[in-house]
Amino acid sequence: MEQTKNKLFLLVPLCFAALTLGCWLHSPKGESLAERRKLAQMPAFSVKALESGRFSSDFERYSQDQFPLRETFRTAKALFSTRVLGRKDNNSIYCSNGYYAQLEYPENPASADYAAEKFTQVYNRYLTEGNRVYLSVIPDKGYYLEGNPKMDYDAFVTRLRQGTPFAAYIDLFPTLTLDCYYRTDTHWRQEMLKPAAEALSHGMGKTLRETYSVQPATRDFLGVYAGQAALPMEKETLSYVTSPAIQGAQVVNRENGKGIGVYDFEALAGRDPYEFYLSGSLSLITMTNPNAETEDRLILFRDSFGSSIAPYFLECYKEVTLVDIRYLPVSRLGKVLDFENADVLFLYSTLVLNNSETIK
Amino acid sequence: MIFSSIPFLYYFLPCVLLVYYLMPKAGRNGVLLLFSLLFYTWGEPRYLFVMLAATVLGYGFGLAMERFPKAKKGLLAASILSSLSSLLCFKYADFFLENLGALTGRPIALLKLSLPVGISFYTFQILSYTIDVYRGQAAAQKNLIDLACYVTFFPQLIAGPIVRYTDIARQLRCRAHNLTGIREGTRRFLMGLGKKVLLANLLGEICAAWHQTTDASVLFAWLYAVSFTLHIYFDFSGYSDMAIGLGRLFGFRFPENFQYPYISRSITEFWRRWHISLGTWFRDYVYIPLGGNRKGKPRQFLNIFIVWMLTGFWHGAAWNFLFWGLWFAVLLIIEKTFLLRHLEKSRILGRVYVLLAVIFSFVLFDASSLSEALVCIRQLLGLGGLPLSSPQAAYLLGSNALLLTAAMVGATPAPKIAAQVIARRWPRAASLLESVMLVLLLLLCTAFLVDGSYNPFLYFRF
Repeated sequence: MEQTKNKLFLLVPLCFAALTLGCWLHSPKGESLAERRKLAQMPAFSVKALESGRFSSDFERYSQDQFPLRETFRTAKALFSTRVLGRKDNNSIYCSNGYYAQLEYPENPASADYAAEKFTQVYNRYLTEGNRVYLSVIPDKGYYLEGNPKMDYDAFVTRLRQGTPFAAYIDLFPTLTLDCYYRTDTHWRQEMLKPAAEALSHGMGKTLRETYSVQPATRDFLGVYAGQAALPMEKETLSYVTSPAIQGAQVVNRENGKGIGVYDFEALAGRDPYEFYLSGSLSLITMTNPNAETEDRLILFRDSFGSSIAPYFLECYKEVTLVDIRYLPVSRLGKVLDFENADVLFLYSTLVLNNSETIK
Repeated sequence: MIFSSIPFLYYFLPCVLLVYYLMPKAGRNGVLLLFSLLFYTWGEPRYLFVMLAATVLGYGFGLAMERFPKAKKGLLAASILSSLSSLLCFKYADFFLENLGALTGRPIALLKLSLPVGISFYTFQILSYTIDVYRGQAAAQKNLIDLACYVTFFPQLIAGPIVRYTDIARQLRCRAHNLTGIREGTRRFLMGLGKKVLLANLLGEICAAWHQTTDASVLFAWLYAVSFTLHIYFDFSGYSDMAIGLGRLFGFRFPENFQYPYISRSITEFWRRWHISLGTWFRDYVYIPLGGNRKGKPRQFLNIFIVWMLTGFWHGAAWNFLFWGLWFAVLLIIEKTFLLRHLEKSRILGRVYVLLAVIFSFVLFDASSLSEALVCIRQLLGLGGLPLSSPQAAYLLGSNALLLTAAMVGATPAPKIAAQVIARRWPRAASLLESVMLVLLLLLCTAFLVDGSYNPFLYFRF
């Protein structure tokens, strides 16, 4: 019996040896497309790095990142956590009604205060009576999902509004529904945003009149949650809207002065396909509609949600400038922006507002 | 380096196993010493010399006591003083300076030394060695490599069990290596790894959520307290299992450190099942030399107070650890006075009492201060107008119901009994099942480690 046990036991050291050899012989990869990040590489050894503990912590990260079949192991862990242990989330990503979302709970009043303080700095430094200033909040999809702890959105928005009395608030919450969001991503679907864009335009005294047609950009879209949760997810169709104003728009990336498209087809094959909309996280972009019937200008303070809704505003503004103050400090805005008589809209998602330390 | 990490599992361990088994028997202790020093250097190179100096001193005092028997009392005192002064300096100096400053109203500059990893464990091992040599229970080790191998042996270096020199003196010279030992060692190691990675770490996430929450409720406090009680058990006993398993892989047999403590019916029994190597160390080297129970009840109670104050203090230089130890002293004295005989009459009452006492004790243990512990205890008792439940608590309870149930069952002997029944009825199938389960366990633990999940280790700094 003991011999049989020992023979069967050989399975364990064989598996261990195979994994060990895999670790030692596996060639390192540069990045993880699923997680949208660079993978840790073998750290350089030095006595100083060893003494400080940096070498051992960097090596640990390297050994995790470069583990053979890493994605398969991550998926196995996610499946065990959710399907066997019955945990509702994996790496804080939960699934409800077929939609994946990040737990965003509870609300952080200090973060709302900090964002309001930053918006107030913009107002005090650059804006005058001649500017019409608006504030709007984009709910994360958790607002529309049931069965999970949610932040108190009303209290959060109220607090933000109290901190920004100079801005007229435009309510987007009733204009959105769960299907306005991607199942596997944080973001909303551009083709579903007409009611939200209309509400914002209306709030700013404008009207959307053009007809928008919807085109598929890719049918292989997997959002950020697919990589973070490491659970098997179905691919989605990422679409975009076109209209005469959008087709005639001229867009300049003002970080380098180069012209870009409203839609960046190359980004579809990149790390984050949502960067398809206005090339993603650029700090300063100006879109111009040469055929506009107005001279009005809009300065849109935004996060990544703003990239996909901004093209709707081209039909009612001559110029729409998108500013991301997570990358461009408020103190520098005066050198790169002309605020005179411009409409100003602060449009941020609760995901950023509730973690607003990223705003500079 | 901790055992539940990719660098240990797939880099360090294969190397040490390979070199160890390729080396002729005479050189194997040297291999273990070399790799143990590497293991220690990986995490804390700065304090390697502290451990080596303590080892050399212990070695010198041991030899000197044997060579100069008339001076052995003084040599033992010097040995104890040198071991404890190092512990005092690194672990307790700031606590005393801070409290002295508070007492006199004049703040004193603190040393702010970081604690050498494993100092509490290897100090106690060296102490046990020199005391046993003094008592004549062990012969002084003539071979410095063998003694250094005992003190620095990486499986038990950072978290025990506290292996007495007398337990493994013979094994240092001669130990058996066979496939059955390797199989048992591997099984024990993987079971410990599973306890740590699949149970303790996930339970730790619940505790971390409670520490960070602004959504306090009575339910959340209980969820935290129960989770932490299970977390610390699986964390520490898992680590002990890994240490015992690793020891077995190298031919050593370490003493058991845990025996299902949460099924105890009294605190007296609990401490015979929890961190056994520490409890027996204090019994044999402090309690009994103080007189134990041989000098009347008042003296016995005083001895219990001293031992449990020291036990608490051993866990950390903070008031909450001190009170944690004293909490058990009070309970033990009450039990010895009258409670024990009542508890023995009722199985349920005893277990409920132990679980409640232990849960409250671990709240004190985990708190960063006495006031934080009091806040949590108030929450547990429903004081302070807290809601009964909160959305986050309800979510976490729902999300972790199965994990908590598995952990509660896993803390009892039920799984072991079930495995024994299966092995008796279907021995061949059980062997195959065991091997398959161990492979799955290894793969699953690896998956959790690769994903970079929550993986701290509580006893790392003790």
